[in-house]
Amino acid sequence: MREWYERLLFILLITPNMLLLAAFTFWPMIYNAYLSVISWNFLSPIRRFVGLRNYETVLTSDIFRIVLINTAVFTIVSVAVTMVLGLGLALLLNQPLRLRNGARAVLFTPTVLSGAAIAIIWIYMFDPRFGPLAQIINWFSSLAHLLPARFSESGLVEWLASVRSPQWLSDPNWAMSALIIVYVWKNLGYAVVIYLAGLQTIDRTLYEAARIDGAGAWAQFWHVTLPGLSPIMFFLLVTSILACFQAFDIIRVMTDGGPVNATNMLVYHLYERGFIQSQAGPAGVVAMVMFVLMLILTILQLRFIERRVHYS
Amino acid sequence: MATINRRQFLRSVAAGASALTLAACGSGTTTEPTAVPTQPAAATTQPTVAPPTAMPQGAMGSTVEITYWGSFSGVLGEAEQATVEAFNSMQQDVKVNYQFQGNYEETAQKLTAAIQARQTPDVSLLSDVWWFSFYINGHLQPLDDLMAAEGVKREAYVDVLLNEGIRKNTVYWIPFARSTPLFYYNKNAWAEAGLEDRAPKTWDEFIEWAPKLNKEGRSAFAHPSAASYIAWLFQGVIWQFGGRYSDPDFTIRIHEEGGIRAGNFYRDTTQTYKWATTPKDVTQDFVTGLTASAMLSTAALAGVEKNAQFPVGTGFLPEGPAGFGCCTGGAGMAILAGLPAEKQRAAMKWIAFATGEEWTINWAQRTGYMPVRKAAVQSESMQKYFAERPNFRTAVEQLPKTRPQDSARVYVRGGDQIIGKGLERITVAGEDPAKVWMDVKKELEEAAAPTIELLKTVEG
Repeated sequence: MREWYERLLFILLITPNMLLLAAFTFWPMIYNAYLSVISWNFLSPIRRFVGLRNYETVLTSDIFRIVLINTAVFTIVSVAVTMVLGLGLALLLNQPLRLRNGARAVLFTPTVLSGAAIAIIWIYMFDPRFGPLAQIINWFSSLAHLLPARFSESGLVEWLASVRSPQWLSDPNWAMSALIIVYVWKNLGYAVVIYLAGLQTIDRTLYEAARIDGAGAWAQFWHVTLPGLSPIMFFLLVTSILACFQAFDIIRVMTDGGPVNATNMLVYHLYERGFIQSQAGPAGVVAMVMFVLMLILTILQLRFIERRVHYS
Repeated sequence: MATINRRQFLRSVAAGASALTLAACGSGTTTEPTAVPTQPAAATTQPTVAPPTAMPQGAMGSTVEITYWGSFSGVLGEAEQATVEAFNSMQQDVKVNYQFQGNYEETAQKLTAAIQARQTPDVSLLSDVWWFSFYINGHLQPLDDLMAAEGVKREAYVDVLLNEGIRKNTVYWIPFARSTPLFYYNKNAWAEAGLEDRAPKTWDEFIEWAPKLNKEGRSAFAHPSAASYIAWLFQGVIWQFGGRYSDPDFTIRIHEEGGIRAGNFYRDTTQTYKWATTPKDVTQDFVTGLTASAMLSTAALAGVEKNAQFPVGTGFLPEGPAGFGCCTGGAGMAILAGLPAEKQRAAMKWIAFATGEEWTINWAQRTGYMPVRKAAVQSESMQKYFAERPNFRTAVEQLPKTRPQDSARVYVRGGDQIIGKGLERITVAGEDPAKVWMDVKKELEEAAAPTIELLKTVEG
């Protein structure tokens, strides 16, 4: 009787979640798989089954190759910079410094701001003529003549004096850097807060023991802090990579995937195929590719990286 | 009860995040397709329209409410809102609920989703590159009988504008916010460079002028991005150089000699002459004096004149080696298929008002869009306005010289952006137009194939 009751309770408890997952996760995934093998423009009553032709069209296209490379570069650089910079700032803010709490709040603020609003502000920040970044570059450039005379012989002074702001958003060579700067700025605070939480869970006695054993600051960081933080780093790595794969709002507002596809990434490409070109099939293929890539990444992370993670 | 350890927790977090990501990404393409268009092939449908009798005030009995989706913000949005308010206050038969849906692209994208959800508006503003997609898939109502019932005559509209919304001798799309590109110039920059106060007559002339206009902190000219419709502005240019995007039957011609010559000219402006830039927002650059001239829509005129700190001049587009070339553009209104008869009549009443003589004059004077009625163009009010604001006259004078755009841009789904991205490769990355156009040709042909097939079914 009790066993029967427990089973019923179990079913009752999981049913709401299962229904939500089925409606908003599993069904869209199955339906997307169906869309990826049909030819349909979202408006026509006619949908034709085309087998794997959409896959061939998308996977062999030049634009998809560019999109994959862009996504990889963006993800690797953004995640690496956010994690390294975040760790450094967290270690700094973990010290008993004045205004520490204020600095933490300021750092975290961008994380809670809307992506679209951030993008609009950064369009002005990056403006090559009026933007604050351009003003700073111009100011440094104007200081070139203060350098000692020996530098002018090498042409360094002239070169520094001629430096101007890059055309951040209209030069294909700079647009990706601009996006990475914005995403790192937005996500840095989150990483710092997570790192700080992790730092506070490390047992202080480990540091004392290390000091007694003669470990210096670097050795303490390498042998106590890093292993202690590894579960947090693993969590950040997983969530940051997944977040990078989803990057869309800031790209949509700042660059529209351009110029010349320089910032066209997976989700934007999916949007482009689906909503601009009204191609349900190829858009479904891009979503399927994302699904497979993220599945592989998640499995790899769980299988290999987690093994190196230390848990207390 | 089993407890989970941290390892299991992390695993579930990672799996959950992955699932959420996929759900979020997939949502764009997984809108539940429950709706089947209520009207089949548009040209062959018999509209369910009320008897063709003019509706007197209050004749409909109780007020019929209709929903209208618009796409304008800023100065244009205020003018559109004013038109709706005027209509609602001047009669009681029909009440228009105006809903702003974002720009042209966003409006069309939302309408696509709305059709799937069977939650469409009654009337929607649709741009030149979008209305055809809805027509060819049977989502637009044929309008001739409704126009007749409302006493609206085809002949009342400017022919070149109305004709673009006619398929198989049936009207589906009525001109409302119609524009052409104009050549805008900064009169102060012109005077500073010692140039005559007029737009250049030819591109060759502008090639001579441009170095005098170009200086540190200001370019002579600027090109927009693909997202800002560079392919619309280039439509006239490719004609001026003897090329075209395509034939009416969708045979792609962009890669032919004229297209390559026009592409080379565009590439030279940024790569060889270096007097043209490719900024994020051309209109803003022009208004703030960062570029001395640009091709912009007539619709930008009111905003540009309001915000520029210098006198603004406008002129016809310069001619190329093959002569003059300029297209029309902008948006029109369409009624969604399958509405009850009373809603159809109410929708047409609204369209007749918004595109009627009085309000097309109001709209044109407030925005810079062209008046869409012949009588409005000739009206005393408009003529007086032209005398006071000569820049507004330029578009109307240029209109008879314009022609409809090539099918590859307006009828091929995504054609505008395919050509626009090709132009970005030429102007921004300096790629060889011959190679770029071959890639664009291939993409356009692939994108055109479903349209050609559907068109055969719909129009025979």
